Amino acid sequence: MLSSQSLSSQRKRVGIFFALPALALVSAFLGIPIIQAGYFSFTQWDGITAVWTGLSTYSHELHNPIFWRVLENNGLLFIGIPVAMLFPMGIAFLLNEKVRGWKAFRTIFFLPTAVSWVVIGMVALRFFAQEGTLNGLFSGFGLSFIKTDFLSSENGALFAVAVTFIWSMVGTNTIIFLTGMATLDSSLNEAARMDGASNFRIFRSITLPQLRRFIQFSFIITVISAFTALFSLIFVMTGGGPGFGTTTLEFFIFQSAFSRGDFGTGAMLGVILFFMMAILGVGQLAIMRSKEE
Amino acid sequence: MKRRDIAIFLTMSLLAVVMIYPFIFMINTSFKSNQQFLGATGHSLSSWKKLFTAMPVGRQLLNSTIVCIGAISLILVVSTMAGFALSKLRSRFSALFFIGIVGAMLIPLQSIIIPAYINASKLNLLSGYWGAIFIYAALGTPFATFLMTSYFRGLPDELIEAAICDGLNYRKVFTKIALPLGIPAIVTVIVLQFIQIWDDLLVGLLFIQDPNYRTITVGLGALSAGRTTSIPVLMAGSLLSAIPAVAVYLIFQRQLVNGLTAGMGK
Repeated sequence: MLSSQSLSSQRKRVGIFFALPALALVSAFLGIPIIQAGYFSFTQWDGITAVWTGLSTYSHELHNPIFWRVLENNGLLFIGIPVAMLFPMGIAFLLNEKVRGWKAFRTIFFLPTAVSWVVIGMVALRFFAQEGTLNGLFSGFGLSFIKTDFLSSENGALFAVAVTFIWSMVGTNTIIFLTGMATLDSSLNEAARMDGASNFRIFRSITLPQLRRFIQFSFIITVISAFTALFSLIFVMTGGGPGFGTTTLEFFIFQSAFSRGDFGTGAMLGVILFFMMAILGVGQLAIMRSKEE
Repeated sequence: MKRRDIAIFLTMSLLAVVMIYPFIFMINTSFKSNQQFLGATGHSLSSWKKLFTAMPVGRQLLNSTIVCIGAISLILVVSTMAGFALSKLRSRFSALFFIGIVGAMLIPLQSIIIPAYINASKLNLLSGYWGAIFIYAALGTPFATFLMTSYFRGLPDELIEAAICDGLNYRKVFTKIALPLGIPAIVTVIVLQFIQIWDDLLVGLLFIQDPNYRTITVGLGALSAGRTTSIPVLMAGSLLSAIPAVAVYLIFQRQLVNGLTAGMGK
Protein backbone atom coordinates (compact mmCIF):
# COMPACT_ATOMS: atom_id res chain seq x y z
CA MET A 1 0.00 0.00 0.00
CA LEU A 2 1.19 3.46 -0.91
CA SER A 3 2.01 6.02 1.75
CA SER A 4 -0.42 8.93 1.92
CA GLN A 5 2.37 11.31 0.90
CA SER A 6 3.04 9.63 -2.42
CA LEU A 7 -0.66 9.03 -2.93
CA SER A 8 -1.34 12.73 -2.66
CA SER A 9 1.42 13.61 -5.09
CA GLN A 10 0.23 10.91 -7.45
CA ARG A 11 -3.28 12.36 -7.25
CA LYS A 12 -2.04 15.82 -8.17
CA ARG A 13 0.03 14.48 -11.04
CA VAL A 14 -2.88 12.53 -12.48
CA GLY A 15 -5.10 15.57 -11.94
CA ILE A 16 -2.86 17.80 -14.03
CA PHE A 17 -2.55 15.14 -16.70
CA PHE A 18 -6.36 14.77 -16.84
CA ALA A 19 -6.93 18.50 -17.19
CA LEU A 20 -4.38 18.93 -19.98
CA PRO A 21 -6.47 17.90 -23.02
CA ALA A 22 -9.24 20.38 -22.18
CA LEU A 23 -6.64 23.06 -21.51
CA ALA A 24 -4.92 22.38 -24.84
CA LEU A 25 -8.16 22.43 -26.83
CA VAL A 26 -9.52 25.60 -25.25
CA SER A 27 -6.15 27.40 -25.43
CA ALA A 28 -5.56 26.51 -29.06
CA PHE A 29 -8.96 27.54 -30.36
CA LEU A 30 -10.16 30.18 -27.90
CA GLY A 31 -7.26 31.39 -25.74
CA ILE A 32 -4.68 32.03 -28.45
CA PRO A 33 -7.20 33.59 -30.87
CA ILE A 34 -8.44 36.06 -28.25
CA ILE A 35 -4.84 37.15 -27.61
CA GLN A 36 -4.27 37.39 -31.35
CA ALA A 37 -7.44 39.46 -31.68
CA GLY A 38 -5.99 41.84 -29.12
CA TYR A 39 -2.75 42.09 -31.07
CA PHE A 40 -4.29 42.42 -34.52
CA SER A 41 -6.68 45.11 -33.29
CA PHE A 42 -3.61 47.39 -33.28
CA THR A 43 -2.75 46.58 -36.88
CA GLN A 44 -3.92 46.99 -40.40
CA TRP A 45 -4.50 43.41 -41.39
CA ASP A 46 -5.81 41.79 -44.56
CA GLY A 47 -5.49 38.25 -43.23
CA ILE A 48 -1.98 37.76 -44.63
CA THR A 49 0.20 40.69 -43.68
CA ALA A 50 -0.34 42.85 -40.62
CA VAL A 51 1.15 46.32 -40.26
CA TRP A 52 1.36 47.77 -36.75
CA THR A 53 -0.68 50.97 -36.61
CA GLY A 54 -1.09 51.36 -32.86
CA LEU A 55 -4.33 52.90 -31.74
CA SER A 56 -5.21 54.30 -35.14
CA THR A 57 -7.75 51.54 -35.92
CA TYR A 58 -9.54 52.43 -32.71
CA SER A 59 -9.48 56.18 -33.23
CA HIS A 60 -10.48 55.77 -36.85
CA GLU A 61 -13.47 53.65 -35.85
CA LEU A 62 -14.52 56.10 -33.13
CA HIS A 63 -14.92 58.70 -35.87
CA ASN A 64 -16.87 56.38 -38.09
CA PRO A 65 -20.61 57.23 -37.97
CA ILE A 66 -21.51 53.69 -39.05
CA PHE A 67 -19.81 52.33 -35.93
CA TRP A 68 -22.02 54.55 -33.76
CA ARG A 69 -25.05 53.53 -35.76
CA VAL A 70 -24.17 49.90 -35.04
CA LEU A 71 -23.76 50.57 -31.31
CA GLU A 72 -27.10 52.38 -31.35
CA ASN A 73 -28.67 49.21 -32.75
CA ASN A 74 -27.18 47.26 -29.87
CA GLY A 75 -28.58 49.88 -27.50
CA LEU A 76 -32.03 49.61 -29.04
CA LEU A 77 -31.93 45.81 -28.72
CA PHE A 78 -30.89 46.29 -25.10
CA ILE A 79 -34.13 48.19 -24.50
CA GLY A 80 -35.98 45.06 -25.58
CA ILE A 81 -34.34 43.02 -22.82
CA PRO A 82 -36.76 43.96 -20.00
CA VAL A 83 -39.63 42.95 -22.28
CA ALA A 84 -37.88 39.69 -23.08
CA MET A 85 -37.69 39.02 -19.31
CA LEU A 86 -40.96 40.42 -17.92
CA PHE A 87 -43.20 38.70 -20.40
CA PRO A 88 -41.85 35.20 -19.58
CA MET A 89 -41.96 36.06 -15.88
CA GLY A 90 -45.69 36.65 -16.22
CA ILE A 91 -46.07 33.41 -18.14
CA ALA A 92 -44.16 31.52 -15.46
CA PHE A 93 -46.44 32.98 -12.79
CA LEU A 94 -49.51 31.78 -14.61
CA LEU A 95 -48.01 28.37 -15.36
CA ASN A 96 -47.01 28.05 -11.72
CA GLU A 97 -50.73 28.00 -10.86
CA LYS A 98 -50.54 24.48 -12.34
CA VAL A 99 -53.54 24.87 -14.60
CA ARG A 100 -54.63 21.86 -16.59
CA GLY A 101 -51.96 20.92 -19.10
CA TRP A 102 -49.26 23.23 -17.73
CA LYS A 103 -46.54 20.72 -18.54
CA ALA A 104 -47.67 20.59 -22.16
CA PHE A 105 -47.66 24.38 -22.31
CA ARG A 106 -44.15 24.43 -20.89
CA THR A 107 -43.02 21.99 -23.59
CA ILE A 108 -44.61 24.09 -26.34
CA PHE A 109 -43.18 27.38 -25.08
CA PHE A 110 -39.68 25.94 -24.95
CA LEU A 111 -39.93 24.32 -28.38
CA PRO A 112 -38.44 27.24 -30.39
CA THR A 113 -35.26 26.90 -28.32
CA ALA A 114 -34.52 23.70 -30.22
CA VAL A 115 -34.94 25.37 -33.61
CA SER A 116 -32.07 27.11 -35.37
CA TRP A 117 -32.04 30.87 -35.89
CA VAL A 118 -31.83 30.19 -39.61
CA VAL A 119 -35.23 28.52 -39.55
CA ILE A 120 -36.72 31.09 -37.16
CA GLY A 121 -35.38 33.87 -39.36
CA MET A 122 -36.88 32.38 -42.47
CA VAL A 123 -40.34 32.13 -40.94
CA ALA A 124 -40.03 35.60 -39.38
CA LEU A 125 -39.14 36.97 -42.81
CA ARG A 126 -42.51 35.76 -44.17
CA PHE A 127 -44.30 36.88 -41.04
CA PHE A 128 -43.19 40.50 -41.34
CA ALA A 129 -43.24 40.72 -45.16
CA GLN A 130 -45.46 43.16 -47.07
CA GLU A 131 -47.91 40.36 -47.93
CA GLY A 132 -46.98 38.39 -44.81
CA THR A 133 -48.94 37.03 -41.89
CA LEU A 134 -48.79 40.12 -39.67
CA ASN A 135 -50.08 42.48 -42.33
CA GLY A 136 -52.68 39.86 -43.17
CA LEU A 137 -53.82 39.95 -39.55
CA PHE A 138 -53.98 43.75 -39.62
CA SER A 139 -56.20 43.64 -42.70
CA GLY A 140 -58.32 40.92 -41.15
CA PHE A 141 -59.07 43.12 -38.16
CA GLY A 142 -59.89 46.07 -40.41
CA LEU A 143 -56.63 47.79 -39.59
CA SER A 144 -55.18 47.82 -43.08
CA PHE A 145 -54.13 51.45 -42.63
CA ILE A 146 -51.27 50.33 -40.34
CA LYS A 147 -50.11 47.78 -42.91
CA THR A 148 -46.41 48.42 -43.45
CA ASP A 149 -43.52 46.72 -45.10
CA PHE A 150 -41.57 46.27 -41.87
CA LEU A 151 -38.38 45.02 -43.44
CA SER A 152 -37.99 47.87 -45.92
CA SER A 153 -37.44 50.60 -43.32
CA GLU A 154 -34.52 50.72 -40.89
CA ASN A 155 -36.67 51.09 -37.79
CA GLY A 156 -39.25 48.60 -38.97
CA ALA A 157 -36.59 45.98 -39.67
CA LEU A 158 -34.93 46.46 -36.30
CA PHE A 159 -38.34 46.22 -34.66
CA ALA A 160 -39.01 42.97 -36.53
CA VAL A 161 -35.65 41.54 -35.43
CA ALA A 162 -36.28 42.60 -31.81
CA VAL A 163 -39.77 41.09 -31.73
CA THR A 164 -38.45 37.82 -33.17
CA PHE A 165 -35.69 37.85 -30.56
CA ILE A 166 -38.15 38.47 -27.70
CA TRP A 167 -40.40 35.72 -29.00
CA SER A 168 -37.53 33.26 -29.13
CA MET A 169 -36.44 34.05 -25.56
CA VAL A 170 -39.86 33.17 -24.13
CA GLY A 171 -39.01 29.49 -23.66
CA THR A 172 -35.65 29.89 -21.95
CA ASN A 173 -36.73 32.68 -19.61
CA THR A 174 -40.00 30.98 -18.71
CA ILE A 175 -38.06 27.86 -17.70
CA ILE A 176 -35.65 29.94 -15.62
CA PHE A 177 -38.47 31.69 -13.75
CA LEU A 178 -40.44 28.46 -13.32
CA THR A 179 -37.36 26.90 -11.74
CA GLY A 180 -37.10 29.93 -9.49
CA MET A 181 -40.72 29.77 -8.46
CA ALA A 182 -40.35 26.12 -7.53
CA THR A 183 -37.84 27.24 -4.88
CA LEU A 184 -40.18 29.83 -3.32
CA ASP A 185 -41.01 29.36 0.31
CA SER A 186 -44.82 29.51 0.40
CA SER A 187 -44.97 29.73 4.20
CA LEU A 188 -43.61 33.29 3.92
CA ASN A 189 -46.56 34.24 1.69
CA GLU A 190 -49.03 32.77 4.12
CA ALA A 191 -47.46 34.58 7.06
CA ALA A 192 -47.58 37.87 5.14
CA ARG A 193 -51.17 37.27 4.10
CA MET A 194 -52.06 36.63 7.72
CA ASP A 195 -50.53 40.00 8.54
CA GLY A 196 -52.85 41.55 5.96
CA ALA A 197 -50.39 42.19 3.13
CA SER A 198 -51.88 42.72 -0.32
CA ASN A 199 -51.00 40.47 -3.27
CA PHE A 200 -48.94 43.20 -4.85
CA ARG A 201 -47.08 43.79 -1.60
CA ILE A 202 -46.38 40.07 -1.25
CA PHE A 203 -45.05 39.94 -4.80
CA ARG A 204 -42.82 42.97 -4.38
CA SER A 205 -41.45 42.36 -0.89
CA ILE A 206 -41.39 38.58 -0.66
CA THR A 207 -41.48 36.94 -4.08
CA LEU A 208 -39.17 39.27 -6.02
CA PRO A 209 -36.30 39.19 -3.50
CA GLN A 210 -36.42 35.40 -3.48
CA LEU A 211 -36.27 35.38 -7.26
CA ARG A 212 -33.31 37.77 -7.49
CA ARG A 213 -30.76 35.14 -8.44
CA PHE A 214 -33.00 33.87 -11.22
CA ILE A 215 -33.71 37.36 -12.52
CA GLN A 216 -29.98 38.00 -12.73
CA PHE A 217 -29.34 34.72 -14.48
CA SER A 218 -32.11 35.44 -16.95
CA PHE A 219 -30.67 38.89 -17.56
CA ILE A 220 -27.22 37.48 -18.35
CA ILE A 221 -28.61 34.83 -20.70
CA THR A 222 -30.82 37.39 -22.44
CA VAL A 223 -28.00 39.92 -22.92
CA ILE A 224 -25.64 37.23 -24.21
CA SER A 225 -28.30 36.14 -26.71
CA ALA A 226 -29.12 39.67 -27.82
CA PHE A 227 -25.51 40.65 -28.41
CA THR A 228 -23.82 37.45 -29.53
CA ALA A 229 -26.41 34.96 -30.76
CA LEU A 230 -28.40 36.86 -33.34
CA PHE A 231 -25.92 36.60 -36.21
CA SER A 232 -27.84 33.90 -38.06
CA LEU A 233 -31.17 35.59 -37.50
CA ILE A 234 -29.89 38.87 -38.96
CA PHE A 235 -28.06 37.04 -41.75
CA VAL A 236 -31.26 35.35 -42.90
CA MET A 237 -33.82 38.05 -42.08
CA THR A 238 -32.23 41.31 -43.17
CA GLY A 239 -28.57 40.81 -44.03
CA GLY A 240 -27.92 43.70 -41.63
CA GLY A 241 -30.02 46.11 -43.67
CA PRO A 242 -31.70 48.08 -44.94
CA GLY A 243 -28.60 50.26 -44.87
CA PHE A 244 -27.07 49.48 -41.49
CA GLY A 245 -30.50 49.39 -39.87
CA THR A 246 -30.13 45.96 -38.29
CA THR A 247 -26.34 45.64 -38.19
CA THR A 248 -25.40 44.91 -34.60
CA LEU A 249 -21.82 44.74 -33.39
CA GLU A 250 -21.53 40.97 -33.88
CA PHE A 251 -22.81 41.28 -37.46
CA PHE A 252 -20.55 44.24 -38.13
CA ILE A 253 -17.54 42.11 -37.14
CA PHE A 254 -18.47 39.52 -39.74
CA GLN A 255 -19.11 42.20 -42.38
CA SER A 256 -15.83 44.03 -41.74
CA ALA A 257 -13.74 40.92 -42.01
CA PHE A 258 -15.51 38.70 -44.50
CA SER A 259 -17.29 41.16 -46.76
CA ARG A 260 -14.77 44.00 -46.75
CA GLY A 261 -11.59 42.02 -46.03
CA ASP A 262 -10.63 44.42 -43.25
CA PHE A 263 -9.50 41.85 -40.70
CA GLY A 264 -7.79 44.39 -38.44
CA THR A 265 -11.00 46.34 -37.89
CA GLY A 266 -12.91 43.08 -37.45
CA ALA A 267 -10.46 41.96 -34.77
CA MET A 268 -10.75 45.33 -33.04
CA LEU A 269 -14.55 45.19 -33.04
CA GLY A 270 -14.27 41.68 -31.60
CA VAL A 271 -12.15 43.04 -28.77
CA ILE A 272 -14.75 45.74 -28.08
CA LEU A 273 -17.52 43.13 -28.01
CA PHE A 274 -15.45 40.99 -25.67
CA PHE A 275 -14.99 43.88 -23.23
CA MET A 276 -18.66 44.80 -23.44
CA MET A 277 -19.67 41.27 -22.47
CA ALA A 278 -16.96 41.01 -19.81
CA ILE A 279 -18.03 44.28 -18.19
CA LEU A 280 -21.67 43.21 -18.20
CA GLY A 281 -20.75 39.81 -16.78
CA VAL A 282 -18.36 41.03 -14.11
CA GLY A 283 -20.62 43.95 -13.18
CA GLN A 284 -23.48 41.54 -12.75
CA LEU A 285 -21.36 39.29 -10.53
CA ALA A 286 -20.27 42.25 -8.44
CA ILE A 287 -23.87 43.35 -7.87
CA MET A 288 -24.82 39.81 -6.92
CA ARG A 289 -21.96 39.55 -4.42
CA SER A 290 -22.57 42.92 -2.80
CA LYS A 291 -26.26 42.15 -2.25
CA GLU A 292 -25.53 38.80 -0.72
CA GLU A 293 -23.29 40.21 1.96
CA MET B 1 -61.27 30.27 -8.56
CA LYS B 2 -62.63 28.06 -11.31
CA ARG B 3 -63.20 31.00 -13.62
CA ARG B 4 -59.65 32.17 -12.98
CA ASP B 5 -58.28 28.78 -14.03
CA ILE B 6 -60.25 28.92 -17.25
CA ALA B 7 -58.93 32.42 -18.00
CA ILE B 8 -55.36 31.27 -17.43
CA PHE B 9 -55.90 28.20 -19.56
CA LEU B 10 -57.25 30.28 -22.42
CA THR B 11 -54.38 32.78 -22.20
CA MET B 12 -51.85 29.94 -22.24
CA SER B 13 -53.60 28.32 -25.20
CA LEU B 14 -53.49 31.54 -27.17
CA LEU B 15 -49.83 31.89 -26.34
CA ALA B 16 -49.20 28.29 -27.36
CA VAL B 17 -50.61 29.14 -30.79
CA VAL B 18 -48.19 32.08 -31.05
CA MET B 19 -45.24 29.89 -30.07
CA ILE B 20 -46.17 27.04 -32.35
CA TYR B 21 -47.08 29.28 -35.29
CA PRO B 22 -43.76 28.83 -37.16
CA PHE B 23 -44.26 25.09 -37.20
CA ILE B 24 -47.80 25.42 -38.51
CA PHE B 25 -46.57 27.87 -41.14
CA MET B 26 -43.70 25.60 -42.18
CA ILE B 27 -45.85 22.49 -42.42
CA ASN B 28 -48.66 24.25 -44.24
CA THR B 29 -46.40 26.12 -46.68
CA SER B 30 -44.08 23.23 -47.47
CA PHE B 31 -47.01 21.20 -48.80
CA LYS B 32 -47.87 23.86 -51.36
CA SER B 33 -46.47 24.53 -54.78
CA ASN B 34 -45.28 28.08 -55.43
CA GLN B 35 -48.56 28.91 -57.20
CA GLN B 36 -50.55 27.53 -54.29
CA PHE B 37 -48.46 29.62 -51.89
CA LEU B 38 -49.17 32.73 -53.93
CA GLY B 39 -52.92 32.23 -53.78
CA ALA B 40 -54.08 29.13 -55.62
CA THR B 41 -55.91 26.61 -53.45
CA GLY B 42 -54.88 23.11 -52.46
CA HIS B 43 -51.74 21.32 -51.37
CA SER B 44 -49.13 19.29 -53.20
CA LEU B 45 -45.82 17.51 -52.75
CA SER B 46 -44.05 19.45 -55.48
CA SER B 47 -42.01 21.65 -53.14
CA TRP B 48 -40.70 18.64 -51.25
CA LYS B 49 -39.64 17.11 -54.56
CA LYS B 50 -37.94 20.35 -55.59
CA LEU B 51 -36.11 20.55 -52.27
CA PHE B 52 -34.17 17.40 -53.04
CA THR B 53 -32.91 18.84 -56.34
CA ALA B 54 -32.18 22.30 -54.87
CA MET B 55 -30.12 20.92 -52.00
CA PRO B 56 -28.20 17.66 -51.45
CA VAL B 57 -30.36 16.96 -48.42
CA GLY B 58 -29.11 13.47 -47.61
CA ARG B 59 -25.48 14.48 -47.87
CA GLN B 60 -26.01 17.57 -45.72
CA LEU B 61 -27.86 15.64 -43.04
CA LEU B 62 -24.94 13.22 -42.99
CA ASN B 63 -22.47 16.11 -42.77
CA SER B 64 -24.35 17.61 -39.82
CA THR B 65 -24.33 14.24 -38.11
CA ILE B 66 -20.59 13.74 -38.66
CA VAL B 67 -19.73 17.22 -37.37
CA CYS B 68 -21.97 16.76 -34.33
CA ILE B 69 -20.54 13.33 -33.48
CA GLY B 70 -16.95 14.52 -33.94
CA ALA B 71 -17.30 17.66 -31.87
CA ILE B 72 -19.39 16.07 -29.11
CA SER B 73 -16.99 13.12 -28.77
CA LEU B 74 -14.10 15.51 -28.34
CA ILE B 75 -16.03 17.61 -25.83
CA LEU B 76 -16.98 14.53 -23.81
CA VAL B 77 -13.46 13.13 -23.66
CA VAL B 78 -11.79 16.34 -22.53
CA SER B 79 -14.59 17.65 -20.30
CA THR B 80 -15.18 14.46 -18.31
CA MET B 81 -11.43 14.11 -17.71
CA ALA B 82 -11.04 17.75 -16.75
CA GLY B 83 -14.19 17.72 -14.65
CA PHE B 84 -12.92 14.71 -12.71
CA ALA B 85 -9.52 16.34 -12.23
CA LEU B 86 -10.99 19.63 -11.05
CA SER B 87 -13.38 18.02 -8.58
CA LYS B 88 -11.51 14.99 -7.25
CA LEU B 89 -7.81 15.38 -8.10
CA ARG B 90 -7.31 18.89 -6.90
CA SER B 91 -3.99 20.68 -6.76
CA ARG B 92 -2.97 24.34 -6.62
CA PHE B 93 -3.26 24.32 -10.38
CA SER B 94 -7.00 23.40 -10.28
CA ALA B 95 -8.35 26.69 -8.97
CA LEU B 96 -6.48 28.65 -11.62
CA PHE B 97 -7.65 26.28 -14.32
CA PHE B 98 -11.24 26.53 -13.13
CA ILE B 99 -11.12 30.33 -13.32
CA GLY B 100 -9.71 30.03 -16.84
CA ILE B 101 -12.57 27.74 -17.86
CA VAL B 102 -15.22 30.07 -16.46
CA GLY B 103 -13.45 32.99 -18.13
CA ALA B 104 -13.46 31.16 -21.46
CA MET B 105 -17.25 30.87 -21.18
CA LEU B 106 -17.38 34.66 -21.40
CA ILE B 107 -15.55 34.87 -24.73
CA PRO B 108 -18.03 35.61 -27.52
CA LEU B 109 -17.55 33.56 -30.67
CA GLN B 110 -17.37 36.72 -32.77
CA SER B 111 -14.38 37.96 -30.80
CA ILE B 112 -12.17 35.02 -31.71
CA ILE B 113 -13.61 34.03 -35.03
CA ILE B 114 -11.31 36.10 -37.26
CA PRO B 115 -7.96 34.96 -35.83
CA ALA B 116 -9.34 31.42 -35.42
CA TYR B 117 -10.38 31.43 -39.07
CA ILE B 118 -6.96 32.62 -40.26
CA ASN B 119 -5.20 30.05 -38.03
CA ALA B 120 -7.42 27.25 -39.30
CA SER B 121 -6.76 28.26 -42.88
CA LYS B 122 -2.99 28.21 -42.26
CA LEU B 123 -3.30 24.76 -40.69
CA ASN B 124 -5.37 23.54 -43.66
CA LEU B 125 -8.33 22.77 -41.45
CA LEU B 126 -10.90 24.41 -43.68
CA SER B 127 -11.12 21.82 -46.43
CA GLY B 128 -12.89 19.05 -44.53
CA TYR B 129 -14.83 18.77 -41.31
CA TRP B 130 -11.95 19.32 -38.89
CA GLY B 131 -11.96 23.11 -38.67
CA ALA B 132 -15.62 23.18 -37.66
CA ILE B 133 -15.25 20.17 -35.35
CA PHE B 134 -12.37 21.77 -33.43
CA ILE B 135 -14.08 25.14 -33.10
CA TYR B 136 -17.36 23.63 -31.95
CA ALA B 137 -15.48 21.42 -29.50
CA ALA B 138 -13.48 24.35 -28.11
CA LEU B 139 -16.64 26.45 -27.76
CA GLY B 140 -18.53 23.66 -26.01
CA THR B 141 -15.76 22.48 -23.70
CA PRO B 142 -15.81 25.29 -21.09
CA PHE B 143 -19.46 24.87 -20.17
CA ALA B 144 -19.27 21.06 -20.41
CA THR B 145 -16.26 21.08 -18.07
CA PHE B 146 -18.10 23.37 -15.68
CA LEU B 147 -21.08 21.02 -15.70
CA MET B 148 -18.99 17.86 -15.22
CA THR B 149 -16.99 19.47 -12.43
CA SER B 150 -20.07 20.41 -10.45
CA TYR B 151 -21.58 16.99 -11.07
CA PHE B 152 -18.49 15.04 -9.99
CA ARG B 153 -18.23 17.24 -6.90
CA GLY B 154 -21.43 15.58 -5.76
CA LEU B 155 -19.77 12.14 -5.71
CA PRO B 156 -18.58 11.27 -2.19
CA ASP B 157 -14.80 11.39 -1.70
CA GLU B 158 -15.05 8.22 0.42
CA LEU B 159 -16.12 6.30 -2.66
CA ILE B 160 -12.95 7.28 -4.51
CA GLU B 161 -10.73 6.68 -1.47
CA ALA B 162 -12.24 3.25 -0.90
CA ALA B 163 -11.59 2.30 -4.52
CA ILE B 164 -7.98 3.50 -4.26
CA CYS B 165 -7.55 1.44 -1.08
CA ASP B 166 -8.86 -1.55 -2.99
CA GLY B 167 -5.93 -1.12 -5.34
CA LEU B 168 -7.49 0.73 -8.28
CA ASN B 169 -5.44 3.54 -9.77
CA TYR B 170 -6.98 6.93 -10.58
CA ARG B 171 -7.39 6.12 -14.24
CA LYS B 172 -9.43 3.04 -13.33
CA VAL B 173 -11.45 4.97 -10.76
CA PHE B 174 -12.29 7.44 -13.53
CA THR B 175 -13.36 4.88 -16.13
CA LYS B 176 -14.95 2.32 -13.79
CA ILE B 177 -16.62 4.56 -11.22
CA ALA B 178 -16.82 8.24 -12.13
CA LEU B 179 -17.86 7.83 -15.76
CA PRO B 180 -20.72 5.38 -15.15
CA LEU B 181 -22.00 7.54 -12.31
CA GLY B 182 -21.65 10.64 -14.47
CA ILE B 183 -24.00 9.44 -17.18
CA PRO B 184 -26.84 11.88 -16.34
CA ALA B 185 -24.49 14.85 -16.71
CA ILE B 186 -22.96 13.33 -19.84
CA VAL B 187 -26.42 13.02 -21.41
CA THR B 188 -27.10 16.67 -20.58
CA VAL B 189 -23.87 17.71 -22.30
CA ILE B 190 -24.72 15.63 -25.38
CA VAL B 191 -28.22 17.05 -25.68
CA LEU B 192 -27.18 20.68 -25.16
CA GLN B 193 -24.29 20.44 -27.59
CA PHE B 194 -26.21 18.51 -30.21
CA ILE B 195 -28.89 21.18 -30.43
CA GLN B 196 -26.34 23.99 -30.40
CA ILE B 197 -24.08 22.53 -33.08
CA TRP B 198 -26.87 21.21 -35.27
CA ASP B 199 -28.52 24.65 -35.30
CA ASP B 200 -25.38 26.74 -35.82
CA LEU B 201 -24.73 28.75 -38.94
CA LEU B 202 -21.71 31.01 -38.44
CA VAL B 203 -19.00 28.44 -37.66
CA GLY B 204 -20.19 26.09 -40.38
CA LEU B 205 -20.39 28.95 -42.86
CA LEU B 206 -16.76 29.97 -42.31
CA PHE B 207 -14.95 26.82 -41.27
CA ILE B 208 -16.38 24.47 -43.88
CA GLN B 209 -15.25 25.81 -47.24
CA ASP B 210 -16.07 22.85 -49.44
CA PRO B 211 -19.83 22.88 -50.25
CA ASN B 212 -19.81 19.06 -50.23
CA TYR B 213 -19.08 19.13 -46.51
CA ARG B 214 -21.72 21.71 -45.60
CA THR B 215 -24.08 20.99 -42.75
CA ILE B 216 -27.82 21.21 -43.34
CA THR B 217 -28.19 24.49 -41.44
CA VAL B 218 -25.46 26.11 -43.53
CA GLY B 219 -26.92 24.65 -46.70
CA LEU B 220 -30.25 26.16 -45.80
CA GLY B 221 -28.73 29.53 -44.92
CA ALA B 222 -26.91 29.62 -48.25
CA LEU B 223 -30.06 28.64 -50.11
CA SER B 224 -32.05 31.41 -48.44
CA ALA B 225 -29.33 34.03 -48.96
CA GLY B 226 -29.48 33.28 -52.69
CA ARG B 227 -33.08 34.55 -52.70
CA THR B 228 -33.86 32.54 -55.82
CA THR B 229 -35.43 29.53 -54.16
CA SER B 230 -39.19 29.57 -53.73
CA ILE B 231 -40.55 30.00 -50.23
CA PRO B 232 -42.36 26.63 -50.01
CA VAL B 233 -39.10 24.85 -50.91
CA LEU B 234 -37.25 26.81 -48.21
CA MET B 235 -39.96 25.91 -45.71
CA ALA B 236 -39.67 22.23 -46.59
CA GLY B 237 -35.93 22.47 -46.02
CA SER B 238 -36.42 24.38 -42.77
CA LEU B 239 -38.83 21.81 -41.45
CA LEU B 240 -36.57 18.92 -42.38
CA SER B 241 -33.53 20.54 -40.80
CA ALA B 242 -35.43 21.33 -37.60
CA ILE B 243 -36.80 17.82 -37.05
CA PRO B 244 -33.68 16.13 -35.55
CA ALA B 245 -33.03 18.85 -32.96
CA VAL B 246 -36.71 19.12 -32.07
CA ALA B 247 -36.92 15.33 -31.68
CA VAL B 248 -33.89 15.32 -29.39
CA TYR B 249 -35.48 18.13 -27.39
CA LEU B 250 -38.79 16.33 -26.99
CA ILE B 251 -37.10 13.11 -25.88
CA PHE B 252 -34.51 14.68 -23.56
CA GLN B 253 -36.44 17.71 -22.35
CA ARG B 254 -35.57 17.13 -18.71
CA GLN B 255 -31.82 16.89 -19.34
CA LEU B 256 -31.92 20.08 -21.38
CA VAL B 257 -33.68 21.99 -18.62
CA ASN B 258 -31.21 20.56 -16.09
CA GLY B 259 -28.35 21.81 -18.22
CA LEU B 260 -29.86 25.25 -18.44
CA THR B 261 -30.48 25.60 -14.74
CA ALA B 262 -27.09 24.09 -13.83
CA GLY B 263 -25.63 27.44 -14.86
CA MET B 264 -27.36 28.98 -11.87
CA GLY B 265 -25.45 26.75 -9.45
CA LYS B 266 -28.76 25.40 -8.22
